[in-house]
Amino acid sequence: MTHVAFTPRGEDVELEADWIVVGSGAGGATAAVTLARGGERVALVEAGPYRDPGDYPSSVYGAMRDMLDAWGSNFTRGRAYWPIVQGALVGGTTVINSAIAVRTPADIFEQWEREHGVGGAAMAERVARAQDVIEQELCVEEVPVDARGRSNLLAKQAADKLGFDNHYMLRYIKGCLGHGQCLQGCREDRKQSLNRNYVPETLAKGGQLLSCAPVERVLLNGTRAVGVEGRFKHPQTRDKGARFTVRAKKGVVVAASVTRSALLLQKSGVRSRALGKNFRAHPGTPVLGVYDDPVDMNTGATQGWASTAFRSEPGFKLETLSLPLDMLAGRLSGTGAQLMDRLTEFRHIAMWVQACRAESVGEIRSTLSGRPAVHYTASRADMARFRDAMHLVARMHVAAGARAILPSVYGMPYRLAPNEIDRIKDAPLDPRAYVAILSHLFGGCVMGADPARSVTDEQGRVHGYQGLVVADASVIPTNLGVNPQHTIMALARSFAENLLQ
Amino acid sequence: MLWLIKFAMRTMMPRSAELPGIEDCDLDGFLRRMRRDSDGLYWLGLVVGALVFAITPILTVYLPLPAFLLPKKLLQRHAEKIAVTNLYLLRNAVFLVRLSAGMCWGADPAVRAKFAMKPYAPDPGTFRTT
Repeated sequence: MTHVAFTPRGEDVELEADWIVVGSGAGGATAAVTLARGGERVALVEAGPYRDPGDYPSSVYGAMRDMLDAWGSNFTRGRAYWPIVQGALVGGTTVINSAIAVRTPADIFEQWEREHGVGGAAMAERVARAQDVIEQELCVEEVPVDARGRSNLLAKQAADKLGFDNHYMLRYIKGCLGHGQCLQGCREDRKQSLNRNYVPETLAKGGQLLSCAPVERVLLNGTRAVGVEGRFKHPQTRDKGARFTVRAKKGVVVAASVTRSALLLQKSGVRSRALGKNFRAHPGTPVLGVYDDPVDMNTGATQGWASTAFRSEPGFKLETLSLPLDMLAGRLSGTGAQLMDRLTEFRHIAMWVQACRAESVGEIRSTLSGRPAVHYTASRADMARFRDAMHLVARMHVAAGARAILPSVYGMPYRLAPNEIDRIKDAPLDPRAYVAILSHLFGGCVMGADPARSVTDEQGRVHGYQGLVVADASVIPTNLGVNPQHTIMALARSFAENLLQ
Repeated sequence: MLWLIKFAMRTMMPRSAELPGIEDCDLDGFLRRMRRDSDGLYWLGLVVGALVFAITPILTVYLPLPAFLLPKKLLQRHAEKIAVTNLYLLRNAVFLVRLSAGMCWGADPAVRAKFAMKPYAPDPGTFRTT
């Protein structure tokens, strides 16, 4: 088993493998372990460091420093500047998300077939088969009763009262203790993030891992991918280290994330008019409820309840999400004495969010410094959906007995009484009025049958190139309307299985 | 610049009758760590946010003075108004200062105790080298 972490300047590092996998998140780690199980020698190359639960931070500051890409300072360029949250360590975003497992809805494959010429029944079957296996391997289970916490219980109660379909979440978490620390990485080692299973298994099967190793380009010999190169970067000092080159006998699988995969291919000289195009996301916004009795939302699962009842029409998903005090303190509006007064209610606040199945399409470009710039503006239709969803969340809070609703919309009062929530229906449709977060990202290297409109085929193979495959969320050509990790892993597994044939 | 950031953060999260303010936390240590650890773009945003906070009383309380020369009551009014200004860029710049202040304040053991929360374990900042 070989792990090469940051290596100071000096002698260059050179390795060889059958397959190189760039990125170790949901797509990369799954592709890597599938190839390794098939007897291939895999080199997994990850830009971030390799951290175990003992290395995980406790605070939000620590999470931003140790786990987020660019300190969480990536944001959309457009009408509004909305943050884009992505993990930057071995295991990728699976280390810092809430490990939510949702099967790919069947209508997605029909939509992909209709609009992009890929998908259909055959892909649906492959993905379902892969998801069966992944659920077993990553111990998918419903949030245990003892770990639900009051915020999740209240949400369930409210949705039941309003009469729409809802459920406690299925998550890749084995025996959750409900410590409410998913966003900082599970120090109790209950979350099945991929740095705890697929990555070590890949290494145990003879694979190699380069961490702290951002890939600068994929090496091409004509139209065949033959390796990658880059330079180590220290995760604390950001010092540049030795150069590394990894040669691939069979090919390169790119899974560097939606914001990075397209740019990496562009920088490597891959020609496709569709590169960086068709970026989509699920922008999410919270609505907070203030209750008479303490909710203590950081006790219990960070995200334990959801509803997909409105996924198709009007197009949003509802979830609980408990923010730590050190994040919520800056997130509540107001400053000075006013803010401190508002913060006294922290224990009584429950935060529930809507994730919009937005139809807006954006583009990923490179800044002059080489960082990804996501150009994206939510349309009026999407903002109307936002508003409807937020109104519904407010209704849930009222149904659960909240004494006040905090809509977090610029131009609206900080606090609404339960009988005032219809004012949300008149909230502005300007994206600038909302502090949304983009956490589910899609596109940039979308798959499709037409090489003029897509980057890869339905097996993730880049059109016109040999031995070059994309296996992360950037191949997904549409929004899913549900959390994407399960779909990303299933697609990556299926692409890798195809490479083994 | 550090002084300006501290001034903005102290104004945004002052001590109240019920809660400790950011001045009761290790703000110096926090900012030292943040300066050392943070991504350049993040730190730049924080500096810009503090500058915006300092130079915009003319837009909020209509006085051509920097925020640090305002009397307490006007400073409080400025802080409240700049946080909800309809100038989006300015609002966002100030938001970043408040967000960072919240990270310092909300992680403080004395603050967490007020909310019946355990103190955070230290952030080790370590990673695997083998």
